[in-house]
Amino acid sequence: MDNNDLLAVEGLRVSAEEKEILRGIDLKIGKGETHVLMGPNGAGKSTLAGALMGDPRLTVTGGAARINGEDLLEMGVHERARAGLYMSFQNPVEVPGISLENFVRTALEQRSGEKVRPWAFHKEVLQVLKTLEMDESYAERDLNYGFSGGEKKKAEIFQLLLLKPSLAILDETDSGLDVDAVRTVSRGIEEFRKNQDASLLVITHNAAILEALHPDAVHILVDGRIVKNGGPELIGEIGRDGFAAYTGEEVHA
Amino acid sequence: MGEMLLNRPIAATFRWLHVNGTKVNVPDTVLERSVDVEENGEETVVTECATPNEKFVGSVGENGTLRLIQIRRKEDPEQVINDVSVRCAKGARFEWYRVILGGAATYDNCSVALEGEESSFAASIGYRLGGTEKADINCEAIHTGPKSRSDIYSSGVLSGQADKLLRGTIDLRHGCVGAEGAEMEDVLLMDEDVRNRTVPVILCTEEDVAGAHGATIGRPDANTVYYLQSRGVPREETEKMLARAKMDAIIRRIPAESVRDALLKAEDEEA
Amino acid sequence: MNGEKTQVEDVHQEFYDFRFDESDFFKVDSGLTPEIISQISDEKKDPAWMREFRQHALEVYSRMKMPDWGPSVEGLNMDNIVTYVRPNTERMNTRWEDVPDDIKETFDRLGIPQAERTSLAGVGAQYDSELVYHNVREEVARAGVIYTDIESALHGPYADLIRERFMKLVPLTDHKFAALHGAVWSGGSFVYVPKGVHVDIPLQSYFRLNAPGAGQFEHTLIIVDEGAYLHFIEGCSAPKYNVANLHAGCVELFVGRNATLRYSTIENWSKNMYNLNTKRAKVEEGGKIEWVTGSFGSHISYLYPMSILAGRGSRSEFTGVTFAGAGQILDTGCKIVHAAPDTTSYVNTRSISKSGGENIFRSAVVVEKNAENSKSAVSCQSLMVDRISRSDTVPVMDVKTNRADIGHEARIGRISNDAVFYLMSRGVTEEEARALIVSGFADNVSKELPLEYAVEMNNLIRIEMKGVIG
Repeated sequence: MDNNDLLAVEGLRVSAEEKEILRGIDLKIGKGETHVLMGPNGAGKSTLAGALMGDPRLTVTGGAARINGEDLLEMGVHERARAGLYMSFQNPVEVPGISLENFVRTALEQRSGEKVRPWAFHKEVLQVLKTLEMDESYAERDLNYGFSGGEKKKAEIFQLLLLKPSLAILDETDSGLDVDAVRTVSRGIEEFRKNQDASLLVITHNAAILEALHPDAVHILVDGRIVKNGGPELIGEIGRDGFAAYTGEEVHA
Repeated sequence: MGEMLLNRPIAATFRWLHVNGTKVNVPDTVLERSVDVEENGEETVVTECATPNEKFVGSVGENGTLRLIQIRRKEDPEQVINDVSVRCAKGARFEWYRVILGGAATYDNCSVALEGEESSFAASIGYRLGGTEKADINCEAIHTGPKSRSDIYSSGVLSGQADKLLRGTIDLRHGCVGAEGAEMEDVLLMDEDVRNRTVPVILCTEEDVAGAHGATIGRPDANTVYYLQSRGVPREETEKMLARAKMDAIIRRIPAESVRDALLKAEDEEA
Repeated sequence: MNGEKTQVEDVHQEFYDFRFDESDFFKVDSGLTPEIISQISDEKKDPAWMREFRQHALEVYSRMKMPDWGPSVEGLNMDNIVTYVRPNTERMNTRWEDVPDDIKETFDRLGIPQAERTSLAGVGAQYDSELVYHNVREEVARAGVIYTDIESALHGPYADLIRERFMKLVPLTDHKFAALHGAVWSGGSFVYVPKGVHVDIPLQSYFRLNAPGAGQFEHTLIIVDEGAYLHFIEGCSAPKYNVANLHAGCVELFVGRNATLRYSTIENWSKNMYNLNTKRAKVEEGGKIEWVTGSFGSHISYLYPMSILAGRGSRSEFTGVTFAGAGQILDTGCKIVHAAPDTTSYVNTRSISKSGGENIFRSAVVVEKNAENSKSAVSCQSLMVDRISRSDTVPVMDVKTNRADIGHEARIGRISNDAVFYLMSRGVTEEEARALIVSGFADNVSKELPLEYAVEMNNLIRIEMKGVIG
């Protein structure tokens, strides 16, 4: 294994409700790299993200995944987070009674085992809200509680910037993002990448997000397998021709 | 006074469920308080429920507001009987904040008569019970005023062998045209030996009204635990967070800043 | 408006409200004594254990209190109720031609034999307290399915099977009318579906109470053995008399491992009926009970089908609609006991109250300590059509373990004026628009019924809704 690899996935097989969804995935993401994962609906893109995060509804039936050389699959969900992994949820859970700011502060404390000074943290929160052009009131609201779809998406990006993971998986498969949320996601990505070492795996078809991304690599996932690895040129190809060349059917992105 | 049947709901149901009132040994002495809020007046009353048998009688005049904040602490008398009855005139509002932080036995009865047009009642009931603690609560909103509103929200955590019974009744009586009532309970069950009974009743004899109730009862939700874990919080901690959130959801509604902050601080120290 | 309503009730009764002279029929004295019970046993040629059982039930009945938590049953003077009325047919008939003409005419008008010819696997018809007709399709019988009257089955090869189960699910002490049932039960069906047999078309049972001031106390016992499937449909009706009638039947359902039983009821008793019926199912591992019920008739109903989820992974689904019009108090709902791990219950009910009718939805969901990983979701919706009616929702959830997920939601509201306006703008009358909306509201049940029953139910709704416009 290459020491430079932040994430190394080999032959990963994953099932959900006894149905095999991922049928042997190989994927390597180096430090500071940005990758894009594309594929038709139902190909298993979100399953890959969930399996790496440790979604309890999924069962890994084969293969390996390492983060910084450590066995990711052996870790509990929170340990994966502490190892530097972050995944944005398509449908973040609503948790009444915990404010967004308090939650992120607690999560940071749990990750580091050290107290976070509330005032200093609050200043950082305000800074991130400003960057993302989000209202200050967000931080006080209960975690995702009563949030609209777009608001939830923003709250996910907000957490990303404060938790500062080494690898972020942004699952933007949900095509229902409004313009405002897309802008927040794009800004969030831009801000996140200011850290030279930060790696990113973006799952999306969204042209507006892809445009500014300039990825280091693009992977095409079809029917549980990565059928093509390439560079940014693949984005244009898929945008033009869809996935027909890979599926044998007329499927458009 | 001896043994009496307390917390009898307006509507009874199957006998074998034992929810049609609770037999309790009632002490002879009662601490009575009565508060009348004048027209357009506003009053906030805080009680600690530190005596075994209390009775609160309130009335709220036109467009007045009465806020009653009642805290039941663990170290209070073993058994607390707390009886609240309030009448609301036109445009009047009654807010009941009930925080039960523990205690061997708590019997709460809160009956609110929404007599005036556009009168309203909001109940925020929070409880955290562990060991063999129990709470038996009956809360009723009786709507006779047109366009009256009631909102009974409760949120709590049970652990150990705690036993909780909450009856909430929204009674939409003849004349309450345009009234709306809602009740919601959210109960987190932390241990195998807890018992939770929830009885969310709606009675309705008027057409142009809306009544709704909902309840979610169970252990910490698996998706929620996964989500919180994915941000780096270990499982036991997520459960603690969620338990605390249930209480905080109620405490943060308390309009008296000093009471609210003191309770939140106490929660911090508990954690 | 009053005139219109009366007229509508007449329309509604037209179909069901025909009656025949019952003067030839044999009656026992009003009131209940050990002698009367013993007379019933003689008539029935009860085996010894059943004679004893009935006498014991009478004792329990005399000891027990009337229910004190639901609608009043004061109108029911038990001393004046003739508890036993038997049509003058000799024995059970298996050929339609042999059923006496007046009874046949009644059922003909209700379309029972036609339905059998077209879409049913078997039919049983009970007239007052006796089962008068029973028939099962040949291919169904050949698969080993037993569908017969329970009285003769007590003397046949299934006697032990019945004795082991008779009033074991519903004990005599359950409530006063269960004890009464035990003492005076008469008629009813016994169904046995052997292991692995899948009965593709429904079996149907039809109950009709014709004599005034009478009671119907049929006992239904169904055993669906391991891996088998059955859909059983019961329909009930009675003409209208000025004296109160009583229906205190008892249904005991045994759903075996991985078996499924769907039990559908369309009940349209006349509006003087006290319907104090008890239905209960026990479901073994991996089995499923599906209750589908439409309640339209009766003066007072107490009806809460109960599911005991006794085996791991067993399931209960309850889908119901209740329509209470003038003079009706329908106290209905369901009870579910989760008594094993991984059990699931799902309840979806709708009620409609109009013209002073009262609906009470009453439920109990009990999750026992051992029922880990159980789930329950209850949803009930109530529609108030006017401001002289009543609609109550009285659910109880009693949860004794943390390893369960229990959800409940309920809603009470009215017919949306916007919806009425929208439909009227497309050219339907207001009356029609409201009837359409109510039918749509009740589609949770109509979707689950065989087509001809769904049509029948929508007709009932339509008839009930006419004349409601104030």
